[in-house]
Amino acid sequence: MTTMVSADTLDISFPEVDYLALAPLLIVFGAACVGILLEAFLPRTRRYSAQLVLSVVGLVAALVTIVMNVGEDRPAFAMSDGSRVDAIVIDGPGLFLMGAIVAMGVIAVLLIAERRVSAGGAFVAHAAVAADSKADAAQARHPGATEVFPLTMFAIGGMMLFCVAGDLLTMFIALEAFSLPLYLLCGLARRRRLLSQEAAMKYFLLGAFASAFFIYGVALLYGYAGSVQLVDINAAIAASGNSQVLLLSGLAMLAVGLLFKAAAVPFHVWTPDVYTGAPTPVTALMAACTKVAAIGGLLRVFNVAFGNSGNPGGPSLAWDWRPILIAIAIATMVIGAILAVTQTDIKRLLAYSSIANAGYLLVGVIALGQALGATLFYLVAYGFTVLAAFAVVTLVRDSQGEATHLSRWAGLAKRSPRFAVIFTLLMLAFAGIPLTSGFAAKFAVFSSALEAGQTSLVIVGVLSSVILAFPYLKVVVLLWLSQPVEDAPAVSMPGFMTGTAVTVGVVFTVLLGLAPQVLLNIVDGAGQFLAK
Amino acid sequence: MTPTYYLVLAAALFTIGAVGVLVRRNAIVVFMCVELMLNAANLTLVTFSRINGTLDGQIMSFFVMVVAAAEVVIGLAIIMSIYRSRRSASVDDANLLKY
Amino acid sequence: MDTVFAPATGALSWMWLLIALPLAGATVLLLLGRRADRWGHLLGTATVGAAFVLGLVFFLQLSGLPDDARSATLDLFTFVESGSLNISAGLLFDPLSAVFVLLITGVGFLIHVYAIGYMSHDEGRRRFFAFFNLFVAAMLLLVLGDNYVMMFVGWEGVGVASYLLISFWFNRPSAATAGKKAFLANRVGDAGFLIAIFLMFASFGSTDFQTVFNGTAANNLASGTVLAIGLFLLLGACGKSGQFPLQTWLPDAMEGPTPVSALIHAATMVTAGVYLIARSHPIFSANETAQLVVVSIGALTLLIGCVIGCAKDDIKRVLAYSTVSQIGYMFLAVGLGGAAYALGIIHLLAHGFFKAGLFLGAGSVMHGMNDQVDIRRFGGLWKYMKSTWFTFLLGYLAIIGLPPLSGFFTKDPIILAAFNREGWQGWVFGGAALLGAGLTAFYMTRLFILTFHGPKRWTDDIEHPHESPAIMTIPLWILAVGSVAAGGLMSTSVVNWLTPVFGHTEHHEEKMSHWTATGLTMALVVLGVVIAFLLFRRGTALAEQPARTHIVRAARQNLYADRFNELVLELPGRLLTRALVWVDNRGVDGVVNGLAAAVGGGSARLRRSQTGFVRSYALSILSGAVVVVAALLVVTFG
Repeated sequence: MTTMVSADTLDISFPEVDYLALAPLLIVFGAACVGILLEAFLPRTRRYSAQLVLSVVGLVAALVTIVMNVGEDRPAFAMSDGSRVDAIVIDGPGLFLMGAIVAMGVIAVLLIAERRVSAGGAFVAHAAVAADSKADAAQARHPGATEVFPLTMFAIGGMMLFCVAGDLLTMFIALEAFSLPLYLLCGLARRRRLLSQEAAMKYFLLGAFASAFFIYGVALLYGYAGSVQLVDINAAIAASGNSQVLLLSGLAMLAVGLLFKAAAVPFHVWTPDVYTGAPTPVTALMAACTKVAAIGGLLRVFNVAFGNSGNPGGPSLAWDWRPILIAIAIATMVIGAILAVTQTDIKRLLAYSSIANAGYLLVGVIALGQALGATLFYLVAYGFTVLAAFAVVTLVRDSQGEATHLSRWAGLAKRSPRFAVIFTLLMLAFAGIPLTSGFAAKFAVFSSALEAGQTSLVIVGVLSSVILAFPYLKVVVLLWLSQPVEDAPAVSMPGFMTGTAVTVGVVFTVLLGLAPQVLLNIVDGAGQFLAK
Repeated sequence: MTPTYYLVLAAALFTIGAVGVLVRRNAIVVFMCVELMLNAANLTLVTFSRINGTLDGQIMSFFVMVVAAAEVVIGLAIIMSIYRSRRSASVDDANLLKY
Repeated sequence: MDTVFAPATGALSWMWLLIALPLAGATVLLLLGRRADRWGHLLGTATVGAAFVLGLVFFLQLSGLPDDARSATLDLFTFVESGSLNISAGLLFDPLSAVFVLLITGVGFLIHVYAIGYMSHDEGRRRFFAFFNLFVAAMLLLVLGDNYVMMFVGWEGVGVASYLLISFWFNRPSAATAGKKAFLANRVGDAGFLIAIFLMFASFGSTDFQTVFNGTAANNLASGTVLAIGLFLLLGACGKSGQFPLQTWLPDAMEGPTPVSALIHAATMVTAGVYLIARSHPIFSANETAQLVVVSIGALTLLIGCVIGCAKDDIKRVLAYSTVSQIGYMFLAVGLGGAAYALGIIHLLAHGFFKAGLFLGAGSVMHGMNDQVDIRRFGGLWKYMKSTWFTFLLGYLAIIGLPPLSGFFTKDPIILAAFNREGWQGWVFGGAALLGAGLTAFYMTRLFILTFHGPKRWTDDIEHPHESPAIMTIPLWILAVGSVAAGGLMSTSVVNWLTPVFGHTEHHEEKMSHWTATGLTMALVVLGVVIAFLLFRRGTALAEQPARTHIVRAARQNLYADRFNELVLELPGRLLTRALVWVDNRGVDGVVNGLAAAVGGGSARLRRSQTGFVRSYALSILSGAVVVVAALLVVTFG
């Protein structure tokens, strides 16, 4: 990206590629491409197991290479003339975010692959068949499409790339690389296909709308700094020669694109509808992994380009954008919590809770470097709990499929105490009750935000979590104290894969609550973003 | 002609696209408005590339075009499938998920 | 005296295994479910046995160290580390924990073995062993924790295991009620313990023993704070150990299976209160008033236990009240302070042996008599269950303090130490302890004679009572040997062993000589035995005896303890609750409900903004973007 225009010769030198640094991304994208080939060449009956194995093995291999990369912060490309190419930057927080996405991705893939809980799985066999038509009834017996595996792998790969992208163009590509598969995945539900298609369309139109803002912001910033590398933008701000209007409008547009993905108010509007309409395993993937990617991207952009971590003591743009982001964070925490109070559908309730949690995470973003570790901790704690919660949601079923309306959940504890205990634990973790990961995470983020001087934000955050505790506890009361409805849904026995997902989620929820220090040490060890 | 005019034109296109998303009902047209916004961004990139004297902006606009093409593929697929089910491409008809 | 603990070395750095083994046992048994039914009891017993062997190894290593270095701490992990708040999870193995570890795992192992036989016909045997292992793990955590928070975790853990086991036969309403009662009484005590922990945090910023003790020793705290910490700890101890005024749950807890009564409600868990006070000795030694309260509670409880014990006809309840009373002796001892700390601990150890033996003996009797518990329905059993009879006899002789059995070596010194307290207190507490010894002799003789001797008064369905299988009688024999020998062997060696913990104390002038005290005690004991023998050698009427005196009537009603609690604790509590509810409904709820309604109303209205139309969503995004751009520009240029 530093090629200069010269009169007659283009002097192009190729960068040296650090393949170890790229390995996690190459493996995941490679597995996705191989998955496409499998779709093309394997007979239909063999695709499912091949795709499942390929996906899980690919993700585990990626995790291994991520661990192998730990310890050395560097860009993945190096020019022989020593100039900087920051397209992909491997650093502590980036590796941690990638690791979190891959680890949660494995769980999400297991949920996506589950076919024991309902016949054929959560996905439709032929998405092109019109919903509620004769052909649609006929295809109900067919097992679900296996295209979902490569789509998921592309999404996960895109999210990983998003967290380690060091320039805005790579970031844009990554954004699209994980958004486009997600749009499709949202529309592939086996049951209630009209809702699913509607969710996909809403997500797609609004997502494309938001990414238009993102790329326009990139264009403006390019105009301001003459480069789209985060470090160059930071340096340009330090030199402060060019038009501030370009810089600030560019920053604002860029932020809109990022905040859309993170589901911050007022860019959250798509979240409840899409979370409700999408197949539940895909909702789990979005709630856990997309959240990590979006917040990871926000963290990197604001820390590296618009904070002053690169040149401590130098001029910082933080004074300009902080008030705006604070207002957004407050609105997100409060509106998310308040809207959750009157929800009657469990997936919608979790969607609003996801919005409010985006607000708590924004508190960590605003506190910049001081709260980086705590924010990373929060992402992992929240991600695993929300995965387990959605996994449990897939198990409560009646003849129409998943029974997500809360009135149908009344008194379920009497019929399935084990399920009720697990879901109660998850709700308590969301509500931030001590000895669960939710408490440790909120405590970590809020206390580091206090240290960074964001007292008012923390006060609002605590108030919002008090409000938010109410809907969670309402679910608990409903489970245990209400009389069951007549044709109450049954809680299916989880198959191996859903069982694993629930178990892992619950174990993390409890472990991070009992011994948070273990993970806190890891996030502290991850250090700061590479910004020199 | 100073390059600033191109920037103003791009901003105007971007605004037209954004407003178009709000006022048009047909999903295909809404999507075309989004494409318009992307192209406004492209025009801005190319203009700045000219102003700054670097090639980066022009290269980036290629990337954006490719992404836009990919979006078309996905978007048309989604809009087609919903059109088959509902016999309607109006974004206002798809209104089951709310509150 | 500065308290300094040395870090663990060698084998001792593996001491976490002590807790991990039984915990793993419990986990495996609970997780595997029915699949483990066939071998679950063996696994459960094996983990405790292995823990005992480990305990022995650690004990030997510890005894190899020089006197002043006999302690080992092991940091496991940091629980919370945030600014000034620092809670780390660590273990401490010192002479005091060592004797408890050996008692818990040793007696625990024997009772596990016994339970294999006792529970052999029960469908829930695996579940029983899982809970039993859980209990052992929690109890070991309690005595091995190196700070009060860890101890509290174990404290709650044994509580949980105890409720689970009391209501083990949960389809019996009485068992479920008893579990609930135990839970409530313990809650009162636990609240006290928690407040004490908060006070420690506030005063010392930490709860680990070293910091707290050195802080107390440095004497820069107001004596009121030390007193408050001490009294709240004592409240916790009273709840767990069934001391006045929270003693009523313990006899009801006998609804659980007999091995539970033996292990949890006689030998180990109920002595946790004694451990708590002995462990906190620097706190209690620093405040005379706190010590006086401990001694008074001990003396009062030991008499209450004896008096009620005389009036009960249920074999396990008599033993339960006897436990209450014996723990009263221990409280008395640890309250006296100084050299008497060690006396309390050796009485605790001896009691662990003979009371476990007595309970298991009672279980063996019930096993042979179709689960009959009324001693008026026994009689003449000695011919039919020789092993049970003989081991029960040894336990009985040990508890009444006949020389040279263990009770003699451990109870007499406590009585003597009580007499030697200064001034009027010596006479009051010594007198109470002495009277208690006589009463103990009376009711234990009554129990023994009515059960094993005299005419048969069996119910009709029993033709030929049978002796229990060897797997149950062998533990009985081992415990009986312990009851006989423990006292003589332990009295001096354990006192010396515990010196590094409690420190040396100089002997001061004695009011009463050793021999006078022993003589007096023996005289009263013999008197008690003789009276009981004369009264009950011909058995007793099956019908309820008319209660001629107030004391009998009162004793049958557990000395009105339940009614006392009702009046003193429950009634004011209820009035207070009613008052609070009134205030709450009118004032607090008004505000809270108003807020909740406001939030709910706001929520319902805001929900409407989520119209479901893509275009209105796009409007929200676009206006958001415009506001952000405008605000940024205004902030900068405005």
